[in-house]
Amino acid sequence: MEKEYVFDLLHEAVEKGQKLGGEFIEARYDDLQLTTINLTNDIIKTSSSLHRKGIGIMAYYKGTPGYSFTPELTNESIEDATIRAVKLAKSTDVRNKIKLDFDDLPAIKDRKEAGVKKHPKNFEFDDKLELLKRGVISVKEVLEPTSTVGLYGESYGEKYFVNSEGSEIFWVPMVVDLRMGAIVIKEGQQAGSYEGSGNSKGFEFFESEGLPEKVGKKAGEACKDQLNAVAAPVGKSTVLVSPQMGGVVVHESFGHLSEADFVVTGQSPISDRVGEQLGSEHVSIYDEGVTEYGGYYLPYDDQGVKTENTILVEKGILKGYLHNRGTAKKMNAELTGNSRAINFLFNPIVRMKNTYFGAGDLSFEEALEQVGRGVYAIDMSGGQVGLDGNFMFNCSKGYLIEKGEITKAIKNTALSGNILDLLKQVKGATRDIEMRTGYFGGCGKGGQNGLAVGYGGPNVIMDQVLVGGAQ
Amino acid sequence: MSLEDLRNRILSITDQTLKYAKDLSIPSIEVFVVEQSLTSLTDHQGKVDSRDGIVQGLGIRVAEGKKIGFSSCTGFEKETVKSALKQAYDIAKVSPENPMFNGFVTETKPAKEGKLDPDILEITSKDLIENCNKMNKEVDLTDKRIISGSFGSSVNYSCYAVGTSEGCLASSLTTTFGATSYFVVMEAGDRKTAIDFIQSRKVEPVEGIAPKALNKAFRALGSKDFSGSEILPTVWEPREAAAFLGFAFFNTFSGSAYVEKSNPWMEKLNEKVASKELTVIDDGQKLDTQECQSIDAEGITRQTTTVIENGILKTFLFDKMFGEAAGFASTGNAQRGGPFGGTPYENTPSVGLNYALIKQGTKNLDEQIAEIDKGILITGTPIGLFTANPVTGDFSVTCNDTFLILNGEKSHPLKSISIAGNYFKTLNNIRFIGNDSEVSGYPIETPSMTFTGHTISD
Repeated sequence: MEKEYVFDLLHEAVEKGQKLGGEFIEARYDDLQLTTINLTNDIIKTSSSLHRKGIGIMAYYKGTPGYSFTPELTNESIEDATIRAVKLAKSTDVRNKIKLDFDDLPAIKDRKEAGVKKHPKNFEFDDKLELLKRGVISVKEVLEPTSTVGLYGESYGEKYFVNSEGSEIFWVPMVVDLRMGAIVIKEGQQAGSYEGSGNSKGFEFFESEGLPEKVGKKAGEACKDQLNAVAAPVGKSTVLVSPQMGGVVVHESFGHLSEADFVVTGQSPISDRVGEQLGSEHVSIYDEGVTEYGGYYLPYDDQGVKTENTILVEKGILKGYLHNRGTAKKMNAELTGNSRAINFLFNPIVRMKNTYFGAGDLSFEEALEQVGRGVYAIDMSGGQVGLDGNFMFNCSKGYLIEKGEITKAIKNTALSGNILDLLKQVKGATRDIEMRTGYFGGCGKGGQNGLAVGYGGPNVIMDQVLVGGAQ
Repeated sequence: MSLEDLRNRILSITDQTLKYAKDLSIPSIEVFVVEQSLTSLTDHQGKVDSRDGIVQGLGIRVAEGKKIGFSSCTGFEKETVKSALKQAYDIAKVSPENPMFNGFVTETKPAKEGKLDPDILEITSKDLIENCNKMNKEVDLTDKRIISGSFGSSVNYSCYAVGTSEGCLASSLTTTFGATSYFVVMEAGDRKTAIDFIQSRKVEPVEGIAPKALNKAFRALGSKDFSGSEILPTVWEPREAAAFLGFAFFNTFSGSAYVEKSNPWMEKLNEKVASKELTVIDDGQKLDTQECQSIDAEGITRQTTTVIENGILKTFLFDKMFGEAAGFASTGNAQRGGPFGGTPYENTPSVGLNYALIKQGTKNLDEQIAEIDKGILITGTPIGLFTANPVTGDFSVTCNDTFLILNGEKSHPLKSISIAGNYFKTLNNIRFIGNDSEVSGYPIETPSMTFTGHTISD
């Protein structure tokens, strides 16, 4: 579809919304192509090609939002969605006590695209299937699994945005992803492991970090280690968390607390605490739209705000929160570009971009030596946090650290605590930062689950982490 | 538009898509069409957000022999649908054969549809505001212990249809009403949260939800440290028991995991997997539940299946392909959930629970507590339930809403504790099954339950 035609449709929606009494209108159009392949036990369990397109209309009336959407690009459907959105904003204003209006900004006209060298659309289905087959071979070179799983995912397309200020933004999202899993169930032994991740790159990703042989070998080795794993010692322990594990910890347990919609409603325990020393001097936390380290490419949010590198914590001191336009004005803060929706069916809410711990000055060996005795937590299979700062992550891949060296693999174990206590117990970090994102997984909030975000950081030393597990 | 108008329109779109497929000479096809009209409103401490719209989409599976391709699209526009058909066919043509696939569903006789409430079609955003007002009025938000109060209400009605070139053409309707109250409270640095809700197929009164949630939050204040690590019995309130057991059943009941050899119970058919008191029925036909449908997501008749009877594993749950691969029939458990943000048409069918019902026992919650010298009462859903290892069954979760049980009585609330154990051992360590089943918000309905052998630490 022609870009100018789409922009014209969106402008018409904005004008219509304003005529109906909407004080500010945002209209966006997503046109995404998503492809997945699931190769289980050498059989394609599922393969899919999804075309996800539609228009979302956000109307504001006296600082009260109303959202509607339509998958149909007809004038009639778009007008109907616009009418619904304005009607909602007006009708719900009577109950809305927290008015999140915002000041006008100069119009933005921009086009952005990630620097992709080998676009996945130029590769055949067989090329993608071949990646999985190569990964499976590598798994089987390490051990004899009862079952193997290979997952390939890609998402790319176009995003358009128009608002009452006359902004016209077009950008191109992109994620490719490869995961390998190995499971062993025999003779009383049970073990399973998954490896892999994604990035906002093209097929070149599978020639470097996402090389199928590398991912498959890691999955096989982790599964093999799990067969001989020992129980982690229960109780408070010093934990060295890997970039991916630390990235998830900082995203889930601290990042959500810094989302300003939780702050303006008083739900976050870090409300009204800017300037306070929340963590040790080793703690710096960032949330960035486009990073030099990789992760997810996000040049604009779904309110048409250019994404920034937001400093949340610097040397332990809380510096600010993540905002949409309304919360930024209400709290007299700079825009951060954190208003995001999972797809056109949902209204944008405050979400993270690429969240990571800042680097320290240790080498990996120095970090191990500093830990002395503890746990090296490398990967996780899920986690959950409460808005009180309590968190629980399941460490699915980890090792004991004994006398400053990595020794035995540990069984699945929980790592839990309260992030506000834990930040004070950060004792150091390594120098290098690694970032990742993914087609599979993603962030969940407000019923919008699976949003692509980036996460990572260096290896981080955390003291006093509660390591749980059965006795 | 009436619910029957909606059904007829969705069936017509399904039928039309089958005709497009015929025009394109597609040899074999399954079309899944869904439309959902929704209106929702949330009020977080006075910050109101609302959403209103119609979700529409198609999921298309095309087969050429045993080669399958899947494609989906949003909306029902002719060119979009035709493009999706071609894409699914193109994928099928280049896909390797799936030896387990034996064709799509043929003629189906739909089972009973769940209860429908046409009044849900008349609910507007103003009605949802009024529901929030009613919940709000029942609690005193000026109480200084309340950090935030949230209210929400929503309605939706939906229809999905499945059509195949092999002769299946069937549909299922649902109406849904929901209301929620959630509170964060704090006193002397002790912060607690609680939620209560209703979820129904018909419009319900919302009175009582907010006070119940708030009282639950208040009663958890004044918590103390557990101090140490100890193996103790745990007593789970009904909704918490449902959340806890949901994970255990998700993988162990799975017929696809059985065929793929990733089900830890794959060698346990007709063997003891749980205490003899445990009977679990997957009821896809409980008419007043959200989960009740007349057909499953690939068009098979919904049914009721006894999975565990007196502790013995009687069967797994199957869709058509995995059922046939295992030498069983489908149990009507094809679903289209998945990590795509509430768009079932974007998923191929997979095996899942319809609605697991645990047969009730005899003791109420207080009678279970009275039998325990020292233990833990779980009153809030732990975090981390979905991080358990599906293969080994090991779990370790954190819970912020628990009470210590001492000498047969509920003593005092505890600060955050860790609860660890193994699901498979837990199911064999059932001490009591209660008589107080509740709808949980998950596709599982249990009474309160007591287990032994969990490691508690803080």
